[in-house]
Amino acid sequence: MSEQIVIVGFGPVAARLIDELLPAVRSGLAHLTVIGEEPDAAYNRVLVADLGVGRTTASALALSDAAALIADGVDVRLGVRVRRVDRARQQVVLTDGTKPHYDRLVFATGSRPVIPNLTGLNPDPAHPVLPAGVTALRDLRDAEVLRQAVAGGKRVVVLGGGVLGLETALAAAEEGATVTVVHNGPHPLGRNIDRGGGAVLAAGMRNCGVRMAGNARSTGVEHNAPDGGFSALLLDDGSAIDGDLLVLSCGVRPRVELAEGCGLSTATGILVDHKLRAHHEPHIFAIGDCAEVRCPDPSCSDCRAARGPSGLVGPGWRQAEWLAEYLTLLAEGSVDGSSDSSPTGDSVDAAESLPELPMEKPGVVVLKARGMNMAVAGDNAAEPWDEEVLTAGAVNGRPRLQIAQWADPEHGRYVKMTTRGGVLEGLVAVGMPRTAAELVSLFERGDELPADRSLLLRLDGPDQLAAAGNSDPERTVCRCAGVTGTKIQDAVVDGCSTVAEVSGATRAGTGCGGCHSDIKDIIEKHFQAAAAA
Amino acid sequence: MTTSADTHCPYCALQCAMTLKSPAALTPAVQPGSDPVPAPPAPNVPAAAVDAGGAAAAPVLEVSGRDFPTNRGGLCRKGWTSASLLSHPGRVTEPMLKGSDGVHRPVSWDEALKLITAAVKDTRARYGADAIGVFGGGGLTNEKAYQLGKFARLALGTSRIDYNGRFCMSSAAAAGMRAFGVDRGLPFPLEDLDGTSTILMLGSNVAETMPPFVQHLQGARDAGGLIVVDPRRSATAAFTSDGGGLHLQPLPGTDLTLLLGLSHVVIHEGLADTEFIQARTSGFEALARSVNAFWPERVQSLTGVPADLIRETARRLAHGATKGGSYILTGRGVEQHVDGTDTATAAINLSLLLGLPGSARSGYGTLTGQGNGQGGREHGQKADQLPGYRKITDPAARAHMAKVWGVPESLIPGPGLPAVQLLKSLGQPDGVRCLFVHASNIAVASPDANAVIDGLRSLDFLVVCDFFVSETAAEADLILPVLQWAEEEGTLTNLEGRVLRRRRALQPPAGARSELWIMARLAEALEAPSTYSEDPETVFEELRLASAGGLADYSGISYAMLDRGEAAYWPYPVGSSGTPRLFLDGFAHADGKAVMTPVAPRRRRTPAENPDPGAKTMTLITGRLLEHYQSGAQTRRVSELLASQPEAKMQIHPAAAASMGITDGSFVSVANERGEVVCRAELSTAIRPETVFLPFHFPELGSANRLTEAATDPISGMPEFKFNKVWVRVAANGPQHSVLQTSEAS
Repeated sequence: MSEQIVIVGFGPVAARLIDELLPAVRSGLAHLTVIGEEPDAAYNRVLVADLGVGRTTASALALSDAAALIADGVDVRLGVRVRRVDRARQQVVLTDGTKPHYDRLVFATGSRPVIPNLTGLNPDPAHPVLPAGVTALRDLRDAEVLRQAVAGGKRVVVLGGGVLGLETALAAAEEGATVTVVHNGPHPLGRNIDRGGGAVLAAGMRNCGVRMAGNARSTGVEHNAPDGGFSALLLDDGSAIDGDLLVLSCGVRPRVELAEGCGLSTATGILVDHKLRAHHEPHIFAIGDCAEVRCPDPSCSDCRAARGPSGLVGPGWRQAEWLAEYLTLLAEGSVDGSSDSSPTGDSVDAAESLPELPMEKPGVVVLKARGMNMAVAGDNAAEPWDEEVLTAGAVNGRPRLQIAQWADPEHGRYVKMTTRGGVLEGLVAVGMPRTAAELVSLFERGDELPADRSLLLRLDGPDQLAAAGNSDPERTVCRCAGVTGTKIQDAVVDGCSTVAEVSGATRAGTGCGGCHSDIKDIIEKHFQAAAAA
Repeated sequence: MTTSADTHCPYCALQCAMTLKSPAALTPAVQPGSDPVPAPPAPNVPAAAVDAGGAAAAPVLEVSGRDFPTNRGGLCRKGWTSASLLSHPGRVTEPMLKGSDGVHRPVSWDEALKLITAAVKDTRARYGADAIGVFGGGGLTNEKAYQLGKFARLALGTSRIDYNGRFCMSSAAAAGMRAFGVDRGLPFPLEDLDGTSTILMLGSNVAETMPPFVQHLQGARDAGGLIVVDPRRSATAAFTSDGGGLHLQPLPGTDLTLLLGLSHVVIHEGLADTEFIQARTSGFEALARSVNAFWPERVQSLTGVPADLIRETARRLAHGATKGGSYILTGRGVEQHVDGTDTATAAINLSLLLGLPGSARSGYGTLTGQGNGQGGREHGQKADQLPGYRKITDPAARAHMAKVWGVPESLIPGPGLPAVQLLKSLGQPDGVRCLFVHASNIAVASPDANAVIDGLRSLDFLVVCDFFVSETAAEADLILPVLQWAEEEGTLTNLEGRVLRRRRALQPPAGARSELWIMARLAEALEAPSTYSEDPETVFEELRLASAGGLADYSGISYAMLDRGEAAYWPYPVGSSGTPRLFLDGFAHADGKAVMTPVAPRRRRTPAENPDPGAKTMTLITGRLLEHYQSGAQTRRVSELLASQPEAKMQIHPAAAASMGITDGSFVSVANERGEVVCRAELSTAIRPETVFLPFHFPELGSANRLTEAATDPISGMPEFKFNKVWVRVAANGPQHSVLQTSEAS
């Protein structure tokens, strides 16, 4: 009998897990049930802001096709919620009254937007009913609310200086809305970026037409619009920021109620070990935003340094790929085990010997925007002269932190490379796309930076494109035939006065013809010099 | 008296038109050979001056470029100097048998053929016919490639035939088949590129590999629309500077991801040609879902290409598609990977989203590499194919070939092994024990070359047909001397699918024979079924019949027509006028639609741990130099080319070099679990700092393929040539370099 796998949640991470499990479903090794509370199959949440400003279409966001999955034999249930999980009976109790059985249960419930505690907002985190003119930005309905405001040229107030808020603000402003970002602290992206980068970033936002309201503490919302909807965000200094739509972008919180309800251990997210298993429960797994990898072993050094769920989709997708392989091996094992040959099949060993997923590095945040480029990663707060901070971790022969920094606020450029032993531990790059791309890739590979860090800054310079050494007469002018400037010069001195004659004498210019203008230049220079003399 | 022949260059798939003239003063040298020349002697054709013991004679023929739509009279250094090999002192002019002392000594043709016949019969009797292997090449004429497939299957009775095109075109071919139902490198004449405003070139460095091609990029450069994707700032990438276009420099091994990002932008920014997609393709919805996860900023993090450059490239291509034309061209840089078929598929998907294929002024194409890389992959040299690009497993195709060959269908073996697997089986139990090698230098050109050399040495009998003692021939029990291009008649099919005539300008050395003659004599000795001609035109006439009704249909083409100068693009069924542009009316699948297949990057195998604390782990990419061709077996023997590029050099970024104490010209060791290369370093800012580049034209300690992995693409069988981990460090001493084989110098 095939292994019953139930996935709770149908977001991008669940979609990847389903795709990776399909071969096992098609072969009959596993039976898969997917429960999604939204009416739509998985779509790309990362691009909801783009949808909200009309830059893409809902159909282009689709990550899964429910009909195709059903045709493959997947039991897809949309618009249904899980009431509770019955671990004793290995059942999931649904709102429609059905109770699918599971051998393996995977929580991929994701997270929900944080609704700040403001007067005039309903703060019930489980059932946030927001008043008219206020929206989060998480699902397709939210995107539609934003799209109408942007299309109508309305005033949009974005509460929160996180990356999603900034992206929404930039996109909405570019599409014609009047946008204000309200955030804590002196600069946006306070949790991710250092002071210098934050300042250059804020200036860049303003250049893109976004009003930035920093150091602001909001206290409530005002509903004085004609339809009774949102009209202003109230701040603690007594001022108000007027607008037609308030977009709440105050971070996300893992959805753990179901897991808590059935007695699983949770912290910020559902606690899982390095095999993504819930603590002390081999039948239940969690991946993506709702999962927090922190194993029960208190001496595990990886877990001591672990942070909570990253809120980024990349780690979730890597977890989905890994878990699919593991679950497939487990399913093969249980099929082997049910035959009379051996109770513990090779596949069980194979599953247990599957290398565990390595711990994620701190997340990389790349701003998705046109006209603005920014990437940050890791711990980048330390400044070049913070001796105490730089030497703090340098014990037991571990090298100290080193900081290299480039600041050119006038031109909107800022780079910081925080390294230990030449390897990046943190980075900031604003306004330097090539540098950002290289640094991110170096950070993710853990490769050593070139000792001359300025090499990385020059990637965005125009001098990278210029050809070098044009004046060297020994330079090969005609690559095809391998003819140097000197040889052509000699031919000209010997009497060749046209490109065709030079070609006849030297073969230069007889391949691709790309050097004809260079040959002409040499001829002209020669005769100009002769005329001058 | 002066004679001349209009022919084409012996080297790459551009097949530049050239004229060979024999200078009036030249008198044919007296040949010391034994047998008479087998082919009917052409009275006005001079013989090559071969001086076996002395220095190189002056070239016996003068080469000049000839006006033709592809090269427009241009030639590169390789073409200009090609005639010097005709009179090279190292030329093999008699069959050479390896003695027990390891030294090759001349034997008569009679004796050579007897030895082969005995070896074949003995191997068949002891291990079965599949213990005989045939390894062909993309440099063989259509006639030889066709007859080689027939010879292997009917005369030797083996299924074990494949060829070096597996290392070259197999990924693009598989992707083309999957998407379009047919694979012709460029499904349009090369001149179509001239008027276009946008060209995206991925993994192809034409400025070095086929320089006269560059003329056709000028239009796009003038329009600022040449976009080159290459981890190196190659000579071709340099054309994008000064307003010529864009250079995208992704991390090696991330081309597929970059292409998915481009498709993502096309779909999400509404740049797709929805009318075309609706009418002429299938699979759009699944494709759209599959690229959804590759938004530009994510792709930037994975590839190192800035998100805005990705967007700009997609928009530029879309703009070109509606105005002026857009072309997407791929080369080996993106295809020679374990995911090469998927990468070529991603490029095709992008072109289909934009509605490029099947339009008269836009398109997708792959740039075929070897001289007859196109024709060589159509007529039965591939393990899974029969002539006319037919599938060997297709009952109708087998019945057709059985009829043409006049044999029962059961006599045609089934599919064999693709090249890498074939080479891995050398000398293994149940593997190949007796191998024939044609137009290929597998000891240098194959991935994991050290393992291949071990395989060659473990064979019972190795026969190599060549005109020089290549590194592979040096391993042979028997070397058979064959003809060079200027000494033979035949046809080749260039990168556009246009069939060209190769013409004889010179009599071959007395002891050399055409491979057609060799196959005919051996078939006779083996009492093989069907017929084997030594006359190229007779073989071509049979090829016409064999290809009739297949995808690559040559049935309407004749020597007479080609000699009149008619342009013949296949498919060219009898009664038609050929097909310069494919897909104008429909694609070659049953429903006439092109198929979009979703693809995604796969996780790669973790490479071996670097055991050398003094060495730095870097990424190795391999490629060509302008001066050399393939394994260099020919071009390393041209003194002018050798003088210019005498040895392998490892290109490395100055910043990476500085951290390792490597200076320009110092010796470095480049090693991994498979082998080691020791060569000089060449410092260049044209390469990414984590990557090194080696050309693959050199043998021994300069042999890049000692480091490449024999892992293959699951669909095409293409090995991983362009993404290998190596451990780089300063080497104390350089190798005692001998670029040519020592056996030849002695």
